[in-house]
Amino acid sequence: MSAYLVSILTEGSIFGIMALGLNVIWGWAGDFDLAYYGYVAIGAYMTLVLTIGPPVPPAEFILGLQLPYPVAVAGAVATSMAVGLVVGLIALRHLRGIYFSIVTLGAVYVMYVMAGQYVRLFDGYNGLSGLFDPMGDWFGFDYQTYQYFFLGLSLVCFVLVFLFMARISSSRFGMALRTLREDERAAAAFGRDIYRLKLKGYVLGAGIGGFAGALFAAYLSAFNPSAWSPVEVIVLYSAVLVGGRGNIRGVALGVLIMGVLVQESTRFLPQIPNHPQVVLALRGAIIGLVLVLFLRFRPQGLLPERRYIDREPAVEPAPQAT
Amino acid sequence: MHEALLTLGFGIVTAAILALSAVAFTLEYGVTNVANVSHGEILTVSAYAAYVVHQRTGSAVAAALAAALAGGLVALAMYLSVIGPFIRFGATPTVIFIATLGVSFIIQNFLVIGFGAENVAYTIDPGAPQNIGPFLLTPLDERIVLSAAAITLALYFVVSRTKFGKALRAVSQNRELARVTGINATRVAAATFFLAGLIAGYAGFVLAESVGTFNPYFGFSFFLITLTASVAGGLGRPFGTVAGAVMVGIILEFAGNYISASYNLAFAFAILAIVILVRPRGLFTNARRTVFE
Repeated sequence: MSAYLVSILTEGSIFGIMALGLNVIWGWAGDFDLAYYGYVAIGAYMTLVLTIGPPVPPAEFILGLQLPYPVAVAGAVATSMAVGLVVGLIALRHLRGIYFSIVTLGAVYVMYVMAGQYVRLFDGYNGLSGLFDPMGDWFGFDYQTYQYFFLGLSLVCFVLVFLFMARISSSRFGMALRTLREDERAAAAFGRDIYRLKLKGYVLGAGIGGFAGALFAAYLSAFNPSAWSPVEVIVLYSAVLVGGRGNIRGVALGVLIMGVLVQESTRFLPQIPNHPQVVLALRGAIIGLVLVLFLRFRPQGLLPERRYIDREPAVEPAPQAT
Repeated sequence: MHEALLTLGFGIVTAAILALSAVAFTLEYGVTNVANVSHGEILTVSAYAAYVVHQRTGSAVAAALAAALAGGLVALAMYLSVIGPFIRFGATPTVIFIATLGVSFIIQNFLVIGFGAENVAYTIDPGAPQNIGPFLLTPLDERIVLSAAAITLALYFVVSRTKFGKALRAVSQNRELARVTGINATRVAAATFFLAGLIAGYAGFVLAESVGTFNPYFGFSFFLITLTASVAGGLGRPFGTVAGAVMVGIILEFAGNYISASYNLAFAFAILAIVILVRPRGLFTNARRTVFE
């Protein structure tokens, strides 16, 4: 396996975990959440501050611990969920539709500005770095072997998250989330606690996002404000939309398609000298175009969510003798 | 006290630009009931159009006209290619919101391909600052404030006194009912987008002039502040929006001066979140909010 393939597959699994988390919030609960990439970023930042040790002046950041990687991942997920809870408590109380989207857009920009400007948090625009090959020294891997190990780790994590999501998808909780998406008033009429359910779904999604962020931090070994931007969530939305919103197999397919499409569509372009951003920008434009076209012509995606049908016919009362 | 007055002066300039952008956004919202997230890109494209024209001709007036025209055409194209078809197809406001976010992503990336991601700047001299009353403003600032006031007045006249304005208000209030009375809602909406685009295009030019430099993402970040002003003033209410813009512009300038300008976006959204949570229909209305806002 070439190094190229290894890196693509690793990125693909991490990206897949992000998309599965987003699917809980948008696919099932039906909320267009723009803060999602913020939770990924918090997961990545927290993993770094929990593992790379105290800051060397002039750098400054919070915590600066040297915990084992798995513990740091747990801490990162917990932080993402806590921030998700705060945003959810505010945004899900009364707001739906575009008002919810606008408030979450605000929330993520607050996170972005804080990460970039409030230097004492995550060292501002310099960001954090120095997480090299986590868990590699436990087994004594060299650099080359470690890449395969990390690929395996990411794939296993993806499969585990996928199986977890498959369970949730058919659980009572998953069904309840879908009823909120379809008809909130009807769900309320049947005694569902809408706010609590939505909040649960939202925090779960944020946690999955934070988990993906923790893996992403280990893959990049560094994280700073130029490594992410709030609007990157559009790429995740296009993957979920193309595959099939609400259907986890569809989401996995969407990630595969967007990954291949985006990588390969620009691969055969001639190199344009002096303009290194052109290829990246072209990819962005393609993603935007795919998003708009799918919304218009195939909003259910390539693998639509299967509707739940009650196959058992209602029992008619037996005719009574008169 | 003196410093506060100076800050107030700068706040009025920010508010003037913001008012133009927010009024345009709220007009778009009014006739379609859809938040056009790609509104910021109207400003960006116009700033680039003005940049190209200014380089060719060296005339600031020609640049301003080019900006307004480019803005009008971009907004019209957005309506005809994406927003209009989605409305006819029966898409929900949230779906159109997502689609316009995609449009904004497409335009930003095409601008990066065309002009690069680096900052570019006009070479229009703002003139030396001078004391006007208690404020310290450049001739450029004066022009911005005066032209914004003139445009707002002209818009007020168009919306409240002309036949087109009447049709616009009718479509804003009830699209179906307006259509029943024989108003071509699609044409009115398209014309409104063109009008809003003219205003937003001019706003993009003066914003770039006043900030000094711009890049393909500059409209999007200003859109976030525009959104705050429009929601504070009441989405779809052009003249409430002007009041919202003045308030937000001045608050931002004070917060920037006394705390730190780098947190401007965060402040804007703090205002936005509070307004949406407390008075989702805007500060200047007395409508009760509903649970399913």
